[in-house]
Amino acid sequence: MPRGGARPLTIASKRLKAKVDWADLIGSVASEGDREAFERLFEHFAPRVKGLMLKAGCSFDEAEEIAQNTMIAVWRKAHQFDPATAGAPAWIFTIARNLRIDLFRRKARAERLDTAADPPDAPDQTETADILISRGQDAARITSAIQQLSPEQSRVVVLSFIEERPHPEIASALGIPLGTVKSRIRLAMNRLRDILDEEA
Amino acid sequence: MTITHHPPEDLLADFAAGRLEEAHKLVVEVHVANCRRCARFVQAIEQLAGAALENVEPVPIAPDAFDRVMSRIDEAPKRVATPPLASSTDDDVPPALRKYRIGRRRRVAPGLSLRPIELSGPGKARAFLLRSAPGSRMLEHTHTGTELTLVLEGSFSHEGGRFGPGDFDYGDDEIDHRPIVGDEGPCLCLVAMTGDLRMNGLLGRLISPFVRL
Repeated sequence: MPRGGARPLTIASKRLKAKVDWADLIGSVASEGDREAFERLFEHFAPRVKGLMLKAGCSFDEAEEIAQNTMIAVWRKAHQFDPATAGAPAWIFTIARNLRIDLFRRKARAERLDTAADPPDAPDQTETADILISRGQDAARITSAIQQLSPEQSRVVVLSFIEERPHPEIASALGIPLGTVKSRIRLAMNRLRDILDEEA
Repeated sequence: MTITHHPPEDLLADFAAGRLEEAHKLVVEVHVANCRRCARFVQAIEQLAGAALENVEPVPIAPDAFDRVMSRIDEAPKRVATPPLASSTDDDVPPALRKYRIGRRRRVAPGLSLRPIELSGPGKARAFLLRSAPGSRMLEHTHTGTELTLVLEGSFSHEGGRFGPGDFDYGDDEIDHRPIVGDEGPCLCLVAMTGDLRMNGLLGRLISPFVRL
């Protein structure tokens, strides 16, 4: 079976040890308002948030807006970041995700009511859930579970749920039949659940 | 609380990715806040998303973006209007719902009342709190879309098993529900529903105009 395009995903925390410690930079922003640290975070993450939002179907302007607002939120919420619970990229992803939800909600409301949009910094609607699910003692188990997925399984989950590509597009990107895409997603989900349950 | 019925994995992954419409997001969010098992699954998907963020092709940001971001940071944070809170006497309302405006309780049938939750996001699904009296047999119904139900208090049972606090029930148009509410007390559920609820039988036809929100 051809496997073209199945690029293995690297778990960020592992790969980044040798490079920059993003968590330390976020810590400096939180403790001292360190602008240099923030600029490095900005240069690295803002273009990636924009890239991911574009992949996930946002317009160019929406992706730019979400990327800028994400970085503002990184500055303002830096003190909430707990390196023991989530890696910096996962934390920044959840901020961007919530801002995208807020953006679409504001647009829907504006269309419905035909009124001015909300203030630009709307409250983070799902913050409570994020706090509740950030339970430090689970973090190591979760990281280990993800590492037990095969690269093909991680890839198909990311393509389907994070990059929001339609299944036929995933099939042609990976050079596998459509049915295999569906079964691979299902297997990846079940495997992730099983590993997380086993280690409980 | 002992939770035995969980959302399907693809719904949890859609939740983690921020892909659910508001009504569905709300129901999954309240489940996940109380279910450590599902919280772990959601965090695992968020970790995968973080790795995807690291690996994605960067797209250049607007040239003045950093300066604009810094000047917005240097402004005093805007006072954001506090969302209308449900009144503190609302013992019906779990914390995750307190940021929503919740309509007044309406009786829709003997022993059955609901409170609509005002949603502002895109999406067609409606959300409401449904309270039914202990021991009542809910109306036989089918629906044309999907129905996500989370038990907040009390319990109900149907052919899929017994559903107590924290349990999640997923119904689609192939399922003909006829839940029976447990005797231990009223059953309070958070429900997200797409499509129409179709009541089978005379009483159902009489009340269904009221049940359509």
